[in-house]
Amino acid sequence: MKYAFFPGCVLKGAAAEAYTSMTKVCEKLGIELVEIENWTCCGASHAQGVNDLAALAVNARNISIAEHMSLPIMTVCNTCTLQLRTAKHRLDSDPKLKEKVNGILKEGGHPYEYKGTSEITHFLWVLDQHPELLKDKITRPLNDLRVAGYYGCHILRPQEIMNHEDGKHPQSLERLIEALGARSVEFDAKRKCCGFHAQLAAEYDVLTVTGQIVDSADKATANVLVTPCPLCQMQLDMYEPEGREAVHSQAQVPILHLQQLVGFALGMSKEDMGFNRHVSAKERLNI
Amino acid sequence: MDVTLNVHRFVEGKKWVQKYKIPVTVGMTVLEALTVVKEKQDPTLSFTCSCRSSICGACAVRVNGNAELSCEILVENLLKRYDTDTLTIEPLGNFRVIRDLIVDWDPKYARLKKIKPAMEPKPEFSAETGCKQSPEEFNKFKKYAGCILCGSCVSECNKNTLNEEDFLDPFVFVKAERLVADSRDRDPKAHLQAVQDAGLWRCFNCQECTAKCPKGLDPAGAIEKLKEATFKMGLSQGVGGKHAKAIYDDISESGMLDESKLNIKSEGFIMAGMRLPMALRLMNTGKMNPLESHPVNPDIKTIQAVVKAAEKEAE
Repeated sequence: MKYAFFPGCVLKGAAAEAYTSMTKVCEKLGIELVEIENWTCCGASHAQGVNDLAALAVNARNISIAEHMSLPIMTVCNTCTLQLRTAKHRLDSDPKLKEKVNGILKEGGHPYEYKGTSEITHFLWVLDQHPELLKDKITRPLNDLRVAGYYGCHILRPQEIMNHEDGKHPQSLERLIEALGARSVEFDAKRKCCGFHAQLAAEYDVLTVTGQIVDSADKATANVLVTPCPLCQMQLDMYEPEGREAVHSQAQVPILHLQQLVGFALGMSKEDMGFNRHVSAKERLNI
Repeated sequence: MDVTLNVHRFVEGKKWVQKYKIPVTVGMTVLEALTVVKEKQDPTLSFTCSCRSSICGACAVRVNGNAELSCEILVENLLKRYDTDTLTIEPLGNFRVIRDLIVDWDPKYARLKKIKPAMEPKPEFSAETGCKQSPEEFNKFKKYAGCILCGSCVSECNKNTLNEEDFLDPFVFVKAERLVADSRDRDPKAHLQAVQDAGLWRCFNCQECTAKCPKGLDPAGAIEKLKEATFKMGLSQGVGGKHAKAIYDDISESGMLDESKLNIKSEGFIMAGMRLPMALRLMNTGKMNPLESHPVNPDIKTIQAVVKAAEKEAE
């Protein structure tokens, strides 16, 4: 199994532990990742609000490089997945737009045109579609963990584009948590948005919802929260103290990247998974 | 097969959840189920409906936490989706409830009025010559003219749930984009400025509105078009607009986000300086390193040329 890997900006920056844990876990699972050469930022769900056509062309360029590698694309970030899949959906369903964007790529001197030949998927979806990847590899079933599975928004919506499962009743994360030997716990704030993309523009509201999500997971007796999105992870982990303050809570819950949870079940250590780079509730993770 | 409906009741200040059990018939909608309850079990249950054809927008309710048009969603499909024999039915979220499943639209109309929600025709149009536009011009806003004001889009809007005072409802943004994109309008800037003043940049981009719109109008997409229009018309202001522009510029400058400078570019030195405790927290865990130089994509010349070519094409 081989993918063109689109890491996205935060995996090369503040969430570098998500990059190292992803490469280690994929290696152990037998998934070969070949990083897309000279990829650029997907637009981070903001660029299209400045110039939509430029944001689309940038992602057409990203996808076309993977097409030249003759590989499907895998990401481990909800927003990157949404941005890339949105570009693909628009280009594949509108021949005139595709022609226009290919003209832009050519004018800019990019060597490949966008064809539409590479599928775009997320690590969670790959594991959900291929449960055999985990077969006989779980050396440390996470029996003691009660896990709050927090999807985040962009892996579920809009349904037309993010169509791995029914976004109004997703189950893939719960299935994976259980497959790793842990117990998946239901919590009230499971479907709330972490607010990452509006952290600066609506700060008080975002810190409030950060606090609500962590508090809700804690009240549901989760001893860890896991998410397939590094942006949600950063919001909930980095701002957990401010979130507590905003909602007058005492809750302290470690916030894991999805691949870290998988890595722990595969027998890897906290050091392997870069857990020392986390901000909140580090001492509460007993692995 | 029977379905149990747990209906959230609200009558004269008193709240409770009432259980009703009814047989499910083939093709039964949620509205038909509620009608069966009202006709055969409890005439006091109150809800609104009119066209029963997904056009009037009067019958939207929340089923298991998701807004749905009750006249078009089938009970059997919901039981299958949630793998259950019980459905929880509530009034739409982010509305004041009048009684049971009936919500109050008056405060919503007051919010709609903030964006000057009527088209003022350009001076060259008259009653004699009409108010013409080409099919291409019409197509720019046609989709957004299809809003049926059902309220589904705001029911699970994450920003509205936290605070609606400094934000608008998604259907208001749809209405605004419908007007801003209409070539016949005399002053699109007036709608746009009003939208920006009322919280355009505070959208969480959670996509709940787009997921819930029964007409497929993509309110989240309308919000992005309005944001883009603020740049085209030179109106963009505030931290939200600066943040989006900083991210956009980073793509051309280096190919990827320069996280260490994003806050300074978005908020300015003084506000960003007040975030020093957070910066120290991130430095302590290795998440931020101010001494590390930001890498530049080896293909940056091509990336810049692609962005420039797209900008030229979009003009």
